[in-house]
Parts: sequence; structure tokens; C-alpha cells
Amino acid sequence: MNDHDHPHNGLPEPVPPPETPVDAGSQALSEALRSSFAIVKFVMVLLVLVFLASGFFTVGPQERAIILRFGKPVGEGEKALLGPGLHWSFPYPIDENIKVSIAGLQHVGSTVGWYAVTPEQMLAGIEPPAGTTLNPIVDGYALTGDTNIIHTRATLTYRINDPIRYVFSFVNASNAVQSAQDNALLYVASRFKVDDILTRDIAGFQEAVRRRATQLVENQDLGVVVEQCVVQSSPPRQLKDAFANVLKAEVMRSKVLNEARSYENQITNKAGADAESLVNLAQSDRARLVRDMSAQAERFQEILPQYQDHPALFGQQRLTETLGRVLTNVQDKIFLAESPDGNRKELRLLLNREVPKPKTEDTKP
Amino acid sequence: MKRNPLTLVIGLLLIIIFGLLLFTFQVRTTEVAVVTTFGKPTRPITEPNLYFKWPWPVQKVWTFDRRVQNFEDRLTEGLTRDSFNLLTSVYVGWKVSDPTAFFPRFAGSANPIAAAETLLDQWLGNTKTAVVGKHPLSDFISTSDDGTNFVAIENEILAAIQSQLQTNNLGLQIEFLGLKRLQLPESVTQSVFERMTSERKVLADRFQYEGEAEAQRIRSGAERKAAEVLANAEGQATEIKGQGEAQAAKSLAVFQQNPELASFIFRLSALEGSLKERSVLIFDQHTPPFDLFRGVSTNLLNK
Repeated sequence: MNDHDHPHNGLPEPVPPPETPVDAGSQALSEALRSSFAIVKFVMVLLVLVFLASGFFTVGPQERAIILRFGKPVGEGEKALLGPGLHWSFPYPIDENIKVSIAGLQHVGSTVGWYAVTPEQMLAGIEPPAGTTLNPIVDGYALTGDTNIIHTRATLTYRINDPIRYVFSFVNASNAVQSAQDNALLYVASRFKVDDILTRDIAGFQEAVRRRATQLVENQDLGVVVEQCVVQSSPPRQLKDAFANVLKAEVMRSKVLNEARSYENQITNKAGADAESLVNLAQSDRARLVRDMSAQAERFQEILPQYQDHPALFGQQRLTETLGRVLTNVQDKIFLAESPDGNRKELRLLLNREVPKPKTEDTKP
Repeated sequence: MKRNPLTLVIGLLLIIIFGLLLFTFQVRTTEVAVVTTFGKPTRPITEPNLYFKWPWPVQKVWTFDRRVQNFEDRLTEGLTRDSFNLLTSVYVGWKVSDPTAFFPRFAGSANPIAAAETLLDQWLGNTKTAVVGKHPLSDFISTSDDGTNFVAIENEILAAIQSQLQTNNLGLQIEFLGLKRLQLPESVTQSVFERMTSERKVLADRFQYEGEAEAQRIRSGAERKAAEVLANAEGQATEIKGQGEAQAAKSLAVFQQNPELASFIFRLSALEGSLKERSVLIFDQHTPPFDLFRGVSTNLLNK
């Protein structure tokens, strides 16, 4: 930008005053000098214009700009921020414009609690082989409140809400955000139980980490707002089977419990239904008994006068009539005539569980 | 002799620019500076602006980054009050706050910031060991407190290092400090793993037995409940039947008019009822109406 200095430096030489008498040669020379001087003037003005024009700059839609005049921000707080569009400032060294990206969301990942993986392994999604110990220099992990070792990592998503502070107060603000995230993981893990982190209260753990990170970022005044925090935790690779077995046992338990509950449902429902039918049966029995008795009483009432008129005959008639009806219904009727000599007769019965055939019974005369 | 005024203006301008370059300097908003006169710090500058100074051999300007630096110290081992080995590392946000104090200590080195961090690292190491030794392991990791002890440890380290900085007057200021790593020595991790494994085993077994016992409880509870329901229903049914019988008994008064006839009728209907299905009857000649087979028709009058 300082290019304009050089033409100035070269300028005094081409204008020595013409002292020699006028002759054609020197006149031509002075003409040439004058015209070249005009050109130099023109170039100078052009350079000044270019110098001033170089102060124009554009700010993109996801950017803000701050003008530093002699190193000091122009304007206070929010007013110092220039929005998208075309702006002008004095060129360096008077002014200096600094653009700040406020583009959407920034991410930082915290791996302080994760075992060492090479980028290739991460891409391939494979775990490095597990040794019997964890080397604190390379392998990260977190200690839980109940003195277990787990791996946990987090991705924090944040938005810059104070770009001036974010850019001018920190050498590397995103690094500071990451440290806050690391601390949050460590802090929260140290207060949780291993099972809560891994299975029982994953969301609670994540929420606590988010809260702690938000609080730290606020206390440290990093000029950012935490938007989201995603935490991922796993048991140490060395103990994968042991943890899996617990999970399996837990699943098994709920399976056994579910079976028991369905048995419970079944048996109580059946008992309820049985009980109801028992009561219903009793009710219908009651109704029938009462009805029968009252019907019989009524009938008794009717036949009583007849009986009183002819007791013996009435009895005989009823007995015979009933017997007749009974005998009509009876399947097999066997009649034993009295032998003339008055001897006893023998009757043999063959009892069979099978459906009785009509001629199973035999009579021996 | 004709002097071009423009030439004069341009010459003047050049002199001014050259002068400004020699006699002024800028301090940006991200910097602090100290002006030294013949090598002695004489003027600290903490506000960004344009400043004047004497040119080089007389005065010289030293600027330092004033932004907050992120620094993470080495992992150091310390013994807790209850004799556990604990490896700790902290992160620190620090900045140059007083250039006059900072300058004599660090300006000599090629990278003053790195030199300051080396010193910080040493001091932090000692401070951490001292603070860790004052706390039992349960202050670092615990399920019973809400984190106040953890924060207290961080604050203790911060306070200790800050007072140390103040006594030594290095021109540094610590903005924030927090624990970044909390680990166990490598050899200890193995025994932790062994303990964890046995804990997992206990837990798995407990789940299994708990499940079975609970299932058993549910089943027997259900059976008892079902039996209770049935017993209740039976009681209710008996009661209902009793009610029916009581109601039916009211009709007995009617039969009372002639008990003989009533008993006869009851017996008749019982006989009829009992012989309704698939029965075999064997008679001899004495049973009416088969007494007819004996040819005695006169028993009309006998009976």
C-alpha cells in the first residue's frame, strides 16, 4: 500500500529549470519534460485515488467487521460491529479492518476421556487392541464417583454471541471452550455412578455435562453460548464382556419378570371369571329353588282338596301314573316273574364301563 | 528559477511520513506495550492507541500479546491425604497484565509467552502436589457431594498460584483455572479393572437372583389372590343359596297343611327325577303296576 511513495521520490529529478538559451533541441526537451511531468501528476492523483479506494471492503452475510483506528476499536460494544455490505475505512496504517466469522455453529470435541485412537482407526471405526492397563499419558479416561474407570467423550456445539470478546480477548477461544468441556466431563463423571453414566441415566449425565460446560463458559466470559452437548460413554475395552454380562442379566431379569406378570394376569383373570360364574350359578340356583318351591306349593294347594276327598285312591293313582311315566323313560326294564315253586332266582349282572349294548344283561330263569 | 509548489508539498509530506514512522507507534487492542528509555522500562501502555516516542537509540517499544493464553500443564503425580496416587493436570487461562513487571523477567527470551508458561508449569506442579495432599480421594471423586469439594480444590490451586504470582510480581494474571485430567498411575488401573470385573460379576448375579425371586413372589402372590377371589365367590354363592333356601322355606307352611301328602309328593318327584336317564330297572311281581302280571286284579281293594 505504500507504493505511492516511490513515484514521489523519483519526482524531483525530471524538473530542472531550463537555463540554456532557447534552441530547438532544448525546447523539444522542455516540451518533453513538461508533458512527462503532466503524466506524473496524473499518475500521482491516480495513486492517491487508488490508495483511498483500497479502504473499501465487503462484509459477507456470515461475518461482522471491526475497524481498528490506530489499534483501537471504533465504536463501543455492538456499535463497533459492521454488518454485511460494503464499508469504507482508511487504509493501513491508519485503520485496520478485522473480519470475524460468526458463521452458524462451531463444534469442539473433547477427547480427554477417551482412549488413544489414530485417525485411521477412527475413520475405519475400529478400536485399538486393549492392553491390561491404561497409560495415563496416552489413554484418556474419567474416574466415576464410585471409583470406576470409564471412557467418555463429548462434542459441544456453540454459537459466538460476542465476537469482539471472542476474537480480541483470547488467543484461541475455541481451545478455551474445549478446556471447559473437558473439565465439565471430568467434573460430572466424578459425581456420577458408573451405571448411571453408561445405562441408567445417560440423559441426566449429558444434561449435567451441558450445564457445567455452560456455567464454565459463562464464568470465563468466552463470548459464546452453548447450544448443544452430545456425550458418548463406554466401559473400558478391557471390561467389555463383564459389562455386557450385566446387561444380559438385566434383560434376562425383565424377561423373567414379564413372564411372571403375564402368569399373574392370566391366573387372576381366570379366578375372576370363575368366581363370577360361581356366583351367577348360585343366583340361578336360588331363583330356581324359590320358583320350584312356590310352584310346588301352588300345586299342592290345588291337589290338597282332591286328596282330602279320596286319600287312598289319590295316592294309588299318583303312584301308578308316575311309575308309568318313569318306566316309559327307563331304557332297560327287566321283569322277574316269581317262579311257581317259590324258589329264589339268581340274577347276574355284567357291569361294563363301555357304552352298554342293549343285550349285555342276561336273565337266568 | 521556478519552484513547483507541488514538489514542495510532496517533499513535506514525505518528511512528515518519515517522521511519523520514526516518532510514533501503535498499540493494538490485543496488545500491551512497554517503552524503554536506554533499556530501562519507563512507560507501560495498556490502552490501544497511537503513541509518540523518541526514535530508536533513545527509546524502544516492546509489545506483548495481552489476550488470554490457553495453557495446559504437565500431568503430575501427587499423594492424596489418604495415600492414593493421583495424576492431575490443569488448564489455565492467563494473560500479561502488567507489561512493566513482565518485561524484565521474560523480554530477554526469544518467546516470552513460552518462557512464562515454563515457569507457570513448574509452579503449578508444586502447587498441585501441595493441594492434592490436603484432600482425601473422596473430595475428588464422590457420589455423595454435589461437586463443592471438586470446585474447592480448583479454587485452592487457583488461590495458591495467584498468591505466588503476586509475591513474585511477574505481571501475569490468571483468568481461570480448572482440572483437565484426573487419572491413576498405570499400574493401579489394572487393579481397578480387577475390582470392576468382580463388581460386575456381583451385579450380574444379583440381577439374576433378584429376577427369579421377584418372579416367584409375583407368581405366588397371584395364586394366593386367585384363591382368595375364588373363596370369596364360594362364600358368596353359599350365602345366595342360603337365601334361596330361606325364601323357599316360606312355602313350607303350605305343605304343613298335610305333611303326609307333601312327603308322598316329594318322594314321587324324587323317584321320577332319579330315573330319568339310562337306568335299568328290575322288577318283581309285587311292584305295582306289575302286580297285574300275577293275575290279581282284585288288589284294587287290598291296597
